[in-house]
Order: sequence, then structure tokens, then C-alpha cells
Amino acid sequence: MVQNKTLGSRIFDIVNTIILTILTLSCLYPLWYTFSLSISVKSAANAGLVTFYPIGFSLASYREIMSDIKFFNSFWISIQRVVLGTGLSLIAMIMMAYPLSKSKQEFKARDIFMWIVIFCMLFNGGLIPWYLTVKSYHLLDTIWALVLAGGLPVFNVILLMNFFRNLPADIEEAAVIDGAGPWRILFGIVVPCSLPVIATVTLFTGVYHWNEFFNGLILMSDASKYPLQTYIQQLVVSIPSDTTLTPDQYKRLSELSNKSLNAAKVFIAITPVLIVYPFLQKYFVTGIMLGAVKE
Amino acid sequence: MKRRILAIVLIGVLAIVAVACSSGDTTEPSSDESNNPATTDTTSELTGDAAAFQKFPEPVDVHIGMSVDPTDKTLPSGDSAENNQYTRYLKDNYNINVIVDWTAAQGNNYNQKVSLAIASGNLPDGLIANDRTYMVKAAKSGLLYDITELFDKTASSQVKEIMDSTDGRAMENASYDGKMVSLPNITVDTDGVHVMLIRKDWLDKLNLPVPKTLSDIEKTARAFVDNKMAGDNTIGIVGPDKNSYPYCTFLMSSNNAHGFDPVFQAMDAYPGYWVDDGTGKVTYGTLSPNTKKTLEILAKWYKEGLIDPEMGTRDSSAEPVNANQAGIFFGPWWSLGYGNGDSFKNDPNANWQAYPVYTDDGKWNVHMKTVGTTYTLISKDASEDVAKAIIIMNNALVRDEATFDTSVAIGWYPLRNVMAAADECEYEYKELYKVLRGETQPEDYNKPNSLYKLMYADAKIVKDVVKSTNDELNVQDFDQTNTGNFQRMYAILVGDRPYATVTPDKKVYSVTYNQTDIMERKWANLKKLEDETILKIILGEPSSTFDDFVQKWKAQGGDEITAEVQAEYDKNK
Amino acid sequence: MKTKKTGIQKHYYLMMLPGMLWLLLFSIVPMFGIIMAFQDYNPGQGILHSQWIGLENFRYLFQLDDSKQVIINTLIISIGKIVLNLIVPLAFALLLNEVRNLRYKKFVQTVVFIPHFLSWVIMASIVIGIFGYNGVVNTIAGWFGAQPQLFMADSSIFRELLVGTEVWKEFGYNAVIFLAALTSVNPNLYEAAAIDGANRWQSMWHITLPELTPTIVLLGVLSLGNVLNAGFDQVYNLYNPLVYSTADILDTWIYRLGLQNLQFSLATAAGLLKSAVSFILITVSYVLAYKFADYRIF
Repeated sequence: MVQNKTLGSRIFDIVNTIILTILTLSCLYPLWYTFSLSISVKSAANAGLVTFYPIGFSLASYREIMSDIKFFNSFWISIQRVVLGTGLSLIAMIMMAYPLSKSKQEFKARDIFMWIVIFCMLFNGGLIPWYLTVKSYHLLDTIWALVLAGGLPVFNVILLMNFFRNLPADIEEAAVIDGAGPWRILFGIVVPCSLPVIATVTLFTGVYHWNEFFNGLILMSDASKYPLQTYIQQLVVSIPSDTTLTPDQYKRLSELSNKSLNAAKVFIAITPVLIVYPFLQKYFVTGIMLGAVKE
Repeated sequence: MKRRILAIVLIGVLAIVAVACSSGDTTEPSSDESNNPATTDTTSELTGDAAAFQKFPEPVDVHIGMSVDPTDKTLPSGDSAENNQYTRYLKDNYNINVIVDWTAAQGNNYNQKVSLAIASGNLPDGLIANDRTYMVKAAKSGLLYDITELFDKTASSQVKEIMDSTDGRAMENASYDGKMVSLPNITVDTDGVHVMLIRKDWLDKLNLPVPKTLSDIEKTARAFVDNKMAGDNTIGIVGPDKNSYPYCTFLMSSNNAHGFDPVFQAMDAYPGYWVDDGTGKVTYGTLSPNTKKTLEILAKWYKEGLIDPEMGTRDSSAEPVNANQAGIFFGPWWSLGYGNGDSFKNDPNANWQAYPVYTDDGKWNVHMKTVGTTYTLISKDASEDVAKAIIIMNNALVRDEATFDTSVAIGWYPLRNVMAAADECEYEYKELYKVLRGETQPEDYNKPNSLYKLMYADAKIVKDVVKSTNDELNVQDFDQTNTGNFQRMYAILVGDRPYATVTPDKKVYSVTYNQTDIMERKWANLKKLEDETILKIILGEPSSTFDDFVQKWKAQGGDEITAEVQAEYDKNK
Repeated sequence: MKTKKTGIQKHYYLMMLPGMLWLLLFSIVPMFGIIMAFQDYNPGQGILHSQWIGLENFRYLFQLDDSKQVIINTLIISIGKIVLNLIVPLAFALLLNEVRNLRYKKFVQTVVFIPHFLSWVIMASIVIGIFGYNGVVNTIAGWFGAQPQLFMADSSIFRELLVGTEVWKEFGYNAVIFLAALTSVNPNLYEAAAIDGANRWQSMWHITLPELTPTIVLLGVLSLGNVLNAGFDQVYNLYNPLVYSTADILDTWIYRLGLQNLQFSLATAAGLLKSAVSFILITVSYVLAYKFADYRIF
């Protein structure tokens, strides 16, 4: 390919690199902006003066967070939620996806189950009945409400199912001849062959559990039980939109509008995702590709 | 040594006297039997204030939902929403056990929880609703306790006096279908009176007089911007942010920070209000020609860069004020002090002052607010004792609020719903000046059960904070060391000065402050249309937009609603 | 042989059990709430005893003056997103595929994925900052002498802004499928083309793109089910009163009906309607994909 280093080709390379670099920078900007805000002095941050780089330098926000027990408490709850939620749903999803990846001849009830799953993905009874249901299971205020009540991420089941379906059939046939039962085939052969998609689904589910804040707000009775995102959300955007403010609320708001502190909290909250993501990233391409598209 | 003992004895005696008068001076009022004459077990026979402050023979559990301040740092470690100086006070004095079923951050999060509680038909015994919509929905669904009789028997004379000071409007608000189903809050009238707040130090620097009329304001704002009083980003006039509104409406008739209410009123326009046009015919104020003219003025100001260019989209308009980038904004009395605390922190010499805005012929028009907007709801499933306990909690708050040690935020008082005399701020303004000038002593205000419940506490601190007796106090006249005290004194003595010292020429009330039946379904849409159109006109859409809006508004249910409001108005006349 | 097959069936059912139980408890049981759509739901009486009103809620929804506008907004925003979420990631994938420095390629691919992980709660404040009066966009435009603009207040471009920011946030993620498809293009094709004297544009146009066509078609069909999803989190966190007329979408409207105006039955009815339409669209896309691409989505 060395031979076609024509002028046009070279110009193309340059333009291309410029475009991609701009795109890349634009994607880095949110992180950089948040970080800049978090280490800027409070007055500059609140006056909206921070655009490209920190104004002033202050670690006051980080110092304040370090002394905030509630923040770390919520952090811990979020970690429990991610571990339990991702672990359990991964097992359930894998076990579910495997029979569904079979044809109707191999698994008779397959289509019925599939449509039930699709139905569950699209229809819901609404917030109130859902809340009442979780309540009637006596799960409110427990970690299990956060882990279970969000339901099974059906989209990921489909991703897994498609990947399983596209695995070469002969591996499994060989195992059957060796006398392996369906459980051994699933966990001994299918799962090890499907690491890319499992890594992908793990990340998706984990990020969902990490980022989700609404369920925490609805299902937990007070802030000491909130996961991290709920804790942050109540600090960042809890402005009443439909009532005028009372002096008390107003006072609180003006004290609250500490953009630099909020930015520091946000920055700390995304760090775990950024740390874990590169380790799983190499699996993505194959994982998503084979999960979504048959070739 | 002897003298010391004597002193201790004396202090002891004083303490007992003080406790006997109110329920203690500061900190946690102890469980003093003398304060609660009714500790016998025949509670049902008690009447009057004996019933209002009775101590239950057996502990009564009251389950509540509570809004909390997630950034609060005043609660001592180890204490909680359920166990703090206020709940202990209720336990010790009235044998009321407060059990907090759930909490949520003030604002949207809390409102969502309230919606959910109502929607699932699952109210705790007591709950504060931040909007009448919630109260009506719960009442309509039969979820609320009919407290008509209980209130009559259990409310304290002080609470009743405050209720009566509203000419029955508070009672009307708290009732649904002829029954009293909630405890209303009653806030000071001045919460609905909006004034101009301006940087007097900037005026002085530029040698300008205090602006009185709209054309004065225009010149002043231009001078602020042209002279770059706060550098390149100087904002002449601050406007509403994405959560506030250009003007108060009949549904939210008070506390509209950073709106343009005084500008409209200086043009004799009352948008958002249902007004009697003088002949008994009801019209919606937004549609009036005067509103249109005012909007043209605002649009001109905006175009000329006098109004904050980011108006309407900011997260909070308090930010430019607190960052001292702005010269003028509008709001109620507490906008100074409470509302712009950080402004003084960033510049202790930011001399914010409050003034009325007059019409061209020198009249001061104000629109008046409804009595209150929040309600204490009591679940229909509560027992009679629990319902009674909630009414007593309110009695106790109204009587003793001023005596609490508020270094623990008063927001931690369970089911705190403010009840204040309508003219509390103006009364305090006048009396505090008397204290400052030595005409009265703080002890003169030590009257338990007074209608003006905060007066005594304020009288005691005013001399520590204010160092001058001038009619117009400057920021330099205040000692800012104790932030809480400074904010309160600044709000009353500067922020409320216009309403306390100038009598408005015209007070305009809305014909109704509540939703009618048709509104329940159609108002949300009309409101959305109004909010968007009005802001857009200010931001530069041609004024023909206004006429289109009027047509659309009428056609999409406005006419129907107007007729309904008219019918109700005629009925009540 | 036959007995063995039924034996396996039993195991398959067992494998389905935990997942189905999960769905039953937390998705299917709460569906009793759908009944509310046909009632004038009264919390005091509960779902069992509220008054039945048939299709009244649905009739009312269509009578409301803003329902039409809300549906139009939803369609414009969601279709805009669907189309651009195909085109932009595709273009990006093609460009990235031309990069020869592998390390740079890897770096770009890693970084563009990051915005996908930020929730809209966080992203919204950043977007408002970027388009604010002193934000990056106005600052850069100012270098070229442009007057600062108030983008967030302009209802005539707000929908474009929503689509644009969504595409920007997700293009890295959406490009993954294309990048994957690109790796499977047979390199011999390029070599053959190069020998024939094709330049890079030509081989991109004549080889890469046709190879990707099935993928593009499939993704397009798959996204049909999202036609009524214009993105609640994004709109809810970004909009303001000035842009209601163009920004209000089905989901935000339903949310306000239910939790803010306390019209529980109406909100349920609107939600049900939305689910039903999505279900039909998904079924159609299933059939289309199966018939024309011989591909089973699920």
C-alpha cells in the first residue's frame, strides 16, 4: 500500500487527522471541563468564567468531599449495587439467552418466551404500580430493591442470544457426541467462547447500575441509603421547577450553587467507570458486532 | 464564693421564670410540667389553650414524610431527622414520638415523593404539600382527615388569631368541599410585594439619583453597563432563570425572585392575575394592552443589552447577583440578605438597597399574594390522637419558634409549616427601629403567645448587628460576623423598607388564587403557551406575536376558563 | 433419541427459570397498572375500585391541544437521531479506518467512547455550559467576529441542538458496529482495487461502503422501534420554558401529566399508547428484517 502515497492521499491523511483530532478533543472536553471546574476557585466557577482551563487553583472542593461521610457511604452502596446487580443479572441473562438462541425445533417454547421477553421490554405498568409492587415484596430500603427492581435488561439478553446463535455449531455438536449435557455445554463451552460479548454486557449492566439514580430516589426512604448518583443528583439539580421558592429554599439554593464542589463530585463519580472501561474495551468490537449483526 | 452562689441561685430563679413564661429561653426547652397544665389522663375534656398544649398521657406515634436540606451541616453528629432537639422537645413536652417514614431533598425530589405517596394512596400520618394541587388531589381522593371539629377544639388561640387575621382566606384555602382538610401556611404579605433592588454604591460612584420610574431605570441600567461597573460582563438588569418566571401568577403569587413584577406594575399591568376590570367583569391580566406595552419596553431593554442576555436559560439568576456582576434586580423583601448572601461575602461593601418602582405619575401599584401556598396534610387513616398531635405540633411551633436555639436549622422541626401574622415584617421594622433608638427595650417584647412570634428574639440581637439609627441603613452599618443574624436584619431593615415605610397607592388582588375545574385539565397547556410566548417576546419576537397569543389562548380553553372564573366570582359576590 | 430431546427441554426450561421469574416479579406483575388507563383512577379507592371510563382517557389525549405538537416534536427529534446516528458514526468509522497509525487509531477509538458513559444529568450541565453565553461555542465564534448567541433559548434550533448533542455523545459508541464490520472486509478486495489504479476515495466508495450496506440497512430497521423514544433524560435535563413548543416530547409530557399535574390515568394511557405503537413498529421491523435481509432480530 506504500505505493499510493500520492499528493491527494497525503492531503486526505492530513485533513482526516485534523477532523479526527477535533472530534477526539470534543469528546475529552466534558471531562476536562468538569475537572477544570472542580479545581477552580468557587467564585470564578459560579460566575461562569471557566471555559477552557481552571481559573485560580483550589483543592477546597476535594477536601470537602473527603470529609463528607455521606458521599463515601453512597459510594459504597453503589459498589455493592454494581457488583450484586451485574453478577446476578449476568447469570440470569446467560442462562436465559442460551435456550433462546436455540431454534424452535430444539426448544419448543422458544418463540413464546421470546415474545414475552420483547413484550416486557416495551410495556410497563407505570411508575406507581411498579412502586406498589416493590413495596409489597418488602424490598423498599434494601439493597435488593436497587439490584432487582430495575428488572432484567432485556436488550442485553438479545445481544447475548445473538452472539450464542452465531457461534460455530460444530463445537457444540462435538460436545454432544462426547455426552455433555446442556449445562456443561453452556458453562463449559458456550460461555468461554463468548467472553467478548459477556465483557460487553458486563460493562453495560455495570454502567447502568452505576449511573441510574431515579430508582434510588423512589425506592429509598432517605439519603443515607442512596446510591452515589442519586446522592449527587439531589445536590446538583434539586431545584423546584413548579413552585416559587420560599426564603429558606432560596437561601439554600444560593449556598448550594457551588459549581466547583459539584464538579468535583461528578468527577469522582465517573472515575471508576473510566478506570474499568479500558480493560474491557478490547472486547467491545467483537462483542457488539457478533451480538447485533449476523454475518 | 457567696456571691457566686447567689448568682447561681439568681440564674436558676430567672431560668424558672423564663421557662414558666414561654417554654424556655433557648436550646431545648425541658419537660416542664408547669408549662403543660394538662397532663391528666382526661384529655378529651380539655378546652382552649389547655387542649392546645396538652401532654398526652401515653406516647403518641406520628409518622411523617419530611423534606430535608442535603447540604445541612447544623445537625449535631448523632442526631437525625427523627431524633434531634425539636423531636426531643415534642417528646418531652407533649409525649409525641415523631417517626420519619421517609425523607427527600427539598424541591423536586420531595415533590415527587409526595406525588407518589398520593398516587399510591399511601400517606404517612402527616405531610407537607408544597402546592395546593397536591392538597386538592388528596382531598378529592378521600385521603385526608376532616379536621374541622378537631381544629376548633385543639388549635391554640394564637394560631386561630393568625388564621383570623386573614379574614377567612386561610380557612378557605385549607378547605375542600366545605371541610377543613389541612393546616394552611400563612406567610407575610410582603412576600408578594416585589421591589427594585439596586447597587447604591454604583449609583453613588456614577453620581446618579435613585431611579423612580421605568425611564429612570432604563437610564440607570444603561449607565451601569456603559461604565462597566463590574467589568465586561456587567449586567444592567437581571431577569428570570429557567426555573423562575417573568411575573407572579394567581397560582404562585409570591416570592418570584428575579422576575419583572415591579416593571409591569409601574405600567398598571397585572399579568398572571385574574382582575376585575372595575365593572365586575373578570379578565386575565396577561391579555391586557398594558401588559403588551410593558413587554415592548422589556423587549427594548433586552435588545439594547440592559437585561441579562442569558435570561430565561440560566440555571440560577442568583449566580450573577452573588458574583456581583449585576446592578439591578427585582424580588420580594428577602431578596436582600437571605437572597444574596454571597454577594456580601464576595464584596462586604456591595451596598444593595430596596426601592419601589413608580408609575410615570408617581403611583406605587402592587399586586397582592394569596395567604399561603403550602399545607400540612393529615392522613384519613391517622387516629384522632395522632391528628390532634399534629395540630399540637403546629401550635407549639407557632408559640415557641422564636425561643428555639436555631443554630440547629429550624427546618428540622417536623411538619414545619410557617404561620406568621400578615404584617409581621412591617411591625418588626417599626419596632426594631424603636429598639435601635432606645425608645423600647428588648424585654418589652417578651410576651408569650404574641401574634409576632419572632419579635422578641430579633429585638435582642438588633443592636449587635446594626450600628446606626439612620432612616436609610447602608451595608457598612451592619456587622456581618453572625451571618444568620445579619441576613435577617438586612432583609427586614433594608429589604422590607419600601413596604414598611411607603403605602402603596393601589393593591391588586386576583379574583381567585385557585384552580377551577376546567383549569385542572387545560391550564397546564395554556401556561406552557404563556410562559414561552412572554419570554420570547422579551427576547425579541415581534409584538404581533402577542396578538396571536391572545387569539390562541382564548381558543384553546382560555375563554371557557374565563367564563368559569367569572361565574364563581359572581357567586361569591 | 426422543426421550433425550424432552430431557433437554426440561433443562432449557430450568435455565429460563431465574430470568423469567425476575421478569414476572418486576415487569409483569406491575403491569396490572395498565388497567388505570381505562379508569378514572382514584388513589383513595385503589385500582380495584376506581371508576371505569373505557376509552375516555385516550379520546381526551387526542383532544388536548398540545398532544399534536408533542407527537410532531417526538417524531422529528427521534427520526433525526435515528438517521444521524447512522450517518455520523458511519462517516467516522470510515475515516478512522483510513488511519494507519495504529496507536493513534486506538487512542481515538478509546476517547470517543467516553461521552457514552456520562449520564445526561451530568452531560446536561456541560452542554448548557458549552452553549452558554460565555461558553466554548460563543467564545470560538467570537474569534471570528460573531455576536454571542443564546442557543439554549432559541426554539427554532432547539430540536437540532438535541439531535446534535445526542449524536455527538453517542457516535463513538455507535461506530463500534461499523468498525467491527469493517474488520471483516476482505483485504484482497482493496489490493485488487489498488492494482486497478483506484485511489482511496474510490475504493472507499466502491468497496467499503457496499460491504457495509447490509449492516446499515439492518441497523436502520432495528431502530424503528425507537421512533417514539426521543430521549427523556436528555430533554428533561436540557429544556426550559423558552423552548417548550419545540422541545416537549411524549415522555416529558407524560412525566409532567403524571407526577406534576397528578393526572395518573392520563399518564398511564399515554404511556400505554406509546408502548403499543413501539410494539407494532418492532414487529414490523422484525418481519421486514426477516423477509428482506433474512435476519432474525430476536
